[in-house]
This record gives sequence, structure tokens and C-alpha cells, in this order.
Amino acid sequence: MNARIFPLAAMTAGILLVGAAQANNEATNTNPAIDSTGVDRARISAGTQMNPTISVILDGVYANFSREVEGPAGFGSHDHGDDHDHEHEHGLEEGFSLRETEISVSASIDNYLDGVMTLAIEGNSGIKVEEAYILTRSLPAGLQIKAGRFLSDIGYINRQHPHDWQFADRPLVSELLFGEHGLQDNGMQLSWLPSTSFYSRYGIEILQGETTMASQDVHETLEEDHGPRLYTAFAKFAPDLGMNHAAMFGFSGGISTSFKKEEEHDDEVELWEGDGWFAGIDAVYKYNSGKPFGHGNWIVQGEYYFREISAEFTEIENQIIEEQFSGRSKQDGFYLQALYGFAPRWSTGLRVDGVGLTNTSLEPGNDAFESFDASYRYAAQVSFAPTEFSRLRLQVNNYDYAHDDGDHGHDAWGVMLQYNVSLGAHGAHQF
Amino acid sequence: MKKILLLSCALLLSSTAHSQLRVVASTTNMAMLANTVGGTQVSVTHLAPPDRDAHHLAVRPSMMTALRQADLLVSVGAELEAGWLMPALQGAGNPKLNPGQLGYFEAAAQVTLIDPQPQADRSQGDVHPTGNPHIYLDPPRLARAGLALAEAMAALAPEHGDYFRHNAASFAEQVDTQLPHWQSLTQNAAGVLLYHADANYLARLLSVPVLGYMEPLPGIPPSGRHLSQLVSNLKGKAGVLIMPTYQPARAATLIEQELGWPVIVLPSNVAAGGTSDDYLALIKRWAQAFAAAQKPAGNPQ
Repeated sequence: MNARIFPLAAMTAGILLVGAAQANNEATNTNPAIDSTGVDRARISAGTQMNPTISVILDGVYANFSREVEGPAGFGSHDHGDDHDHEHEHGLEEGFSLRETEISVSASIDNYLDGVMTLAIEGNSGIKVEEAYILTRSLPAGLQIKAGRFLSDIGYINRQHPHDWQFADRPLVSELLFGEHGLQDNGMQLSWLPSTSFYSRYGIEILQGETTMASQDVHETLEEDHGPRLYTAFAKFAPDLGMNHAAMFGFSGGISTSFKKEEEHDDEVELWEGDGWFAGIDAVYKYNSGKPFGHGNWIVQGEYYFREISAEFTEIENQIIEEQFSGRSKQDGFYLQALYGFAPRWSTGLRVDGVGLTNTSLEPGNDAFESFDASYRYAAQVSFAPTEFSRLRLQVNNYDYAHDDGDHGHDAWGVMLQYNVSLGAHGAHQF
Repeated sequence: MKKILLLSCALLLSSTAHSQLRVVASTTNMAMLANTVGGTQVSVTHLAPPDRDAHHLAVRPSMMTALRQADLLVSVGAELEAGWLMPALQGAGNPKLNPGQLGYFEAAAQVTLIDPQPQADRSQGDVHPTGNPHIYLDPPRLARAGLALAEAMAALAPEHGDYFRHNAASFAEQVDTQLPHWQSLTQNAAGVLLYHADANYLARLLSVPVLGYMEPLPGIPPSGRHLSQLVSNLKGKAGVLIMPTYQPARAATLIEQELGWPVIVLPSNVAAGGTSDDYLALIKRWAQAFAAAQKPAGNPQ
């Protein structure tokens, strides 16, 4: 009996309370700001802010290559397997391919934290957590802390998701020095935006070190060093150039405390043990013409990175050390691209990629790591963006890659037709 | 003696400058409102130039610098600036301006909006489900937002609360005095063809029928098919086409040729640094533009 009455009583009490609260509101509503409808909101938006903002990015490519493109010389340490058959570029197959389908969810967690999660469903090969981090929203003095899995703030393009790119593919330097997804890792970031009239932002990151120069590709012989293994820092500067122009210049670098790699071929084992560092500069300039739909706008951007890995190489055959030496792998790369809005909703762009201008790889040679030639890639694209939610892009690539055997005569052409659309929340683009 | 006087004046000025509220306004109309309400107690900067479409703007680092230093952000709201203001705000790392804090102010959230479209989806263009966000071209609504802004400023600088309230009230009064003049201007206005649904509040306020839009859907540029449809629908009727400053005139010339209507290019924002007088003058220009096409004589309806 009691159990039955209780909910009823609670409901009645609730209704009374709500009624009282409303009456109280009306009684104290002397604020002239409040509309006659009783509207007193700080903010209005389409969704309730209690629910996370959700957006989905669909990205598909039709690609055609004049011949198989083999990876640039000196960077192809993963060429031993044969899983790269018919795969010319990361995730790109001849013909139709579905690229990353990105699902992004973000919301305020409470008054202290925001949360962001981005899942990438790659083609049909499973789900990866692209980003999953918390970000402080109420630290004083322009400080922000990010923790979780995130895209590092080094350089300019690294923190952008593929749908923010001006080209269909990632710049070679980003892919080859930092990984298929750029520098994306688990860790923490502290950044600081001082309160000055001149924009500058500084940050440091402590990362687990899952990718390239801090990776631990170990099997039976070597033991994994515990993380964190990668420490990065960045600084960005942007002069105030008025309403139509904007530019930003960045410096970044990082230190890896441990690099390990192990390769087994039959009864032979190759081992690399060492550490590394990288440094880079980036610059971006944007011109806003003020014309509608991006007509007359310019974006010019470029980045350069240098990476060094000092490693001891050991080759063991049948438990006997066959070869052992210490060496330094020094590799670098750059890209430079320009984008111009030649008509409302239409833009065109050119990009030059170069990697291995300095190219001492991790490939063991005669008592030293082997050096290779530089590789280049040239890209041109035309995009049509009917709205800010959709984009079609035609891109032509010319591959001028150096091969491991020193042969250059393997120029290849690639054509890509890409669609890239976003569903859901209103897109917001960082600088 | 003169020197000392000047020096003390300068000192006085600098000390008041120091205690001023630092306001960042998204658009120049919002900057006008902040200046009108805040008077000498605020220093106001704006993020969007007056000749731009506030829907589409690219984030600039200087926006984050401005937001980083601000005490108060005054935006139009209702997701008008969603594409750029939110990322700029996040990049600025200024907790005082977070939505829900005293330093975050949306004008559209202070008034009721017309034409809410809760059932809308993106296939209907860049719609705002909560309602038309362009309240800045509605002087009474903007004045009401001004009263709310006075309260927001008073919460941040209580010692000047009465000053802010007084300023906001006198702006509202100015609007009330002007309203009959504008309404008399548009008494016989035939109707207006708008580029985008940004002057609907004003058209409604001044009883001017909106005959159509150059955009087939919000945010979509005019297509040939849509324009020829407009022409066939409006043939023989009287009206005026009002174009924003930032859209190409090409589509407008077709309307001018086919319908013989006057085409008037008007800004929807006051110039940078514009005052409340400039704003009221801008509204008067709009009223006069509405009146450029009169209802045919002998047909009062």
C-alpha cells in the first residue's frame, strides 16, 4: 500500500515544487531583458546541449594508376610483406574504395571538461579510435590540458582530419616520418595562449610513442621499453594582418627515448635499438577575398621536417652475431601547396611533395645505414563544394619516386575522383 | 600648469581605459549595440568585417587573441556564427566566455525568433531550426537584446549597472520614436525580393510583403532555373530587389531586365565603428529601399 502511494506522493510533491518554482520565477521576473514569453536563455541551438554533437564524414575515392607505385626509396621498411599488392597509396585501391568513415562525437562533460571522440571505420577493415580525449575548458591564464588519444599539435596539417585537407591524400612527409595517420598517439598535452595582442601558442606533449621514431616493433629477441617514449614541443606565432589576411608560423620538435625494431627472416634476425629526434617548421597564409563561396580566396601552406634515429644494428644468424654497427638514419621531407578559389564554390590547387632530400635510411648496408635518392610527388586538384557539407574533388598525381635500386625510370600517374561529405552537426573549422 | 593638467587627464583616461570592460562583438552591428549600451565603460572590437556574410567566415588567429583578452563576447547567436565562432572560442581558452558564463551573450537568445523550423533537415538548405537568426535587422528586437545586454554588462561591472541600463533604455526609446517614421515610409510598399532571409524581421515590422528569395534554398546561390521561376511568378507585379553587398550582381541584372524592378544594394551591418545613429540611419535606408516599389494606385490592397 505504502509502496503504491509513495510514487504518487512524490509526483504530487514534484508538481507542486515545479509549480512553486514557476510562480517564484514569475514573481521575481522583473528583469526587463526577459521576453514576454519568459525566454531567458544564454544560448540557443538546434540540439539540446545535453546530447553530444554528432557528425559523420563519408569519404570515397575512385582511383586509377598508370602503373603500380612502389613506395619512395629509404622509407619502405614495411615492404617485406606482400599485403601491399594492389594497394598503391594508403587505403587506396585501383577502382572504387571507401576511405575512412569518420564518426565524431563531442560534448561538454561538465563545467571543467569537454570530451571529443572520433572513430574511423577504415574501408571494411575495422574500427580505429582516431581521437578520444578530454580537454579542459576552465583553466585560467590561457592554459589548456588535453589528455587521451589525439592528433599532435606539431606542425599544421598534423591535427587536421582527412576531410579538412585540400588534397585527397596526406603529404608524404607526414605519412612517412610520422605514420599513416600522422603523429596520433596516447598521452597528454599542455598548451598556453598568452594574453597578448600578438597571437602565440606554446605547448608540450608527453606521448606513449606508438609511431615511427618511438615505436617498439619487437617480437622474440628484444624487450619493449615502457612508455612514455616521445616528448614533443611546439610554438605557433601569428601576426595580426587585419580582416582579410591571416598567417601562422610554427616550430615543432620532439625527442624519442627509445626506438626498437625487430625483423625475422627464416633463421636470421635483424635488430635495431636506439633513440631519435625530429624538428620541423610550418607556415600557412590565408587570404579571404570577401567574395561569396570562397571565390578569390588563397591558401598557401608548407611544412618541412627532419628526423634522425640513432640506432645500433645487429644481425643474428643461427644465434651468432653476423654484423653489428651503430649508425644514424637522417631523413627529411617537405610539402608546399597552394589553393585558389577560381569561382564561387570552385577551387583548384597544386602541391609539391619531396621526401628524402637527406636520405640515410634504416636499411643496413656495409657497416652503415644505406643512403638513397630523393623522391617527389606532384599533385593538382580541382574541387567543387556545393555547400560547406559536401565536396567533390578530382586530383591528378605524378609520382617521381626513387627506387631502392637507384632507378628513377618509374614515373607513374594517378587519377583520383573523391567525394567527401559530412552529415549531422554544423562543421566547424579550426584555423 | 597646462602640462600637469594634460598629464592628469591622460592618467585619468588611462585608468578608466584600464577598468573598461573588454568586449568582443561578432559583427559590427553587435559592436554597435555593445558600444551603445556600454558607452564609455567598454572597449569593443569586432571579428567579422561588415561586408561579409556572417554565416561563412574563416577562423583567424587574431580572433583568438581578441577572445583571449575579452571579458564579454556579444554574438548574434542562434547558430549564425557557429562555423567559426565556436572553434575560435575553443582556441582562445578563455573560460570567462564559455556558453553559460556571464561573459557569453547571444542576442538571438534574448528574444523570440520568427520562422522556427524544428522539422527541417539539411536538404532544405542551411536552415536554422530554432528560427531566423537575423534579428539585427529588427530594431525593436535588437533594442530588447540591448536591455538584456545591459544586465549582462551590469553583472560584470555592477558599479556601472545603472549607466548601462540607462543607455539601453534610451536606445530602445530612440527605436520607438523612429518606428512610426519608418512605417510611414513603407505604407504603400509593394513588396521586396530578398537575396537571403535576412530582412524578414524588418519586412514584417514595416508590413512589407516578402515576395521571394534569390536563393533557391538558404545558403545556396541562385540557379538559372530558380531565377526563371521567380521571373515567371513575379511577372507583372511591382517590387524591389534588395541585394547584399557581398553577392555578385549578375543574378540581379536578370531580375532588373526581366521584371523592370529597381535593384538596390544595401549593407546589413553598420560600418566598423558605427554608432546607434548609423544603425538607425541604416534601417531608414532599408525602409526607403522597401518603398522604392509602391503598390499600383487605385489598388490599395
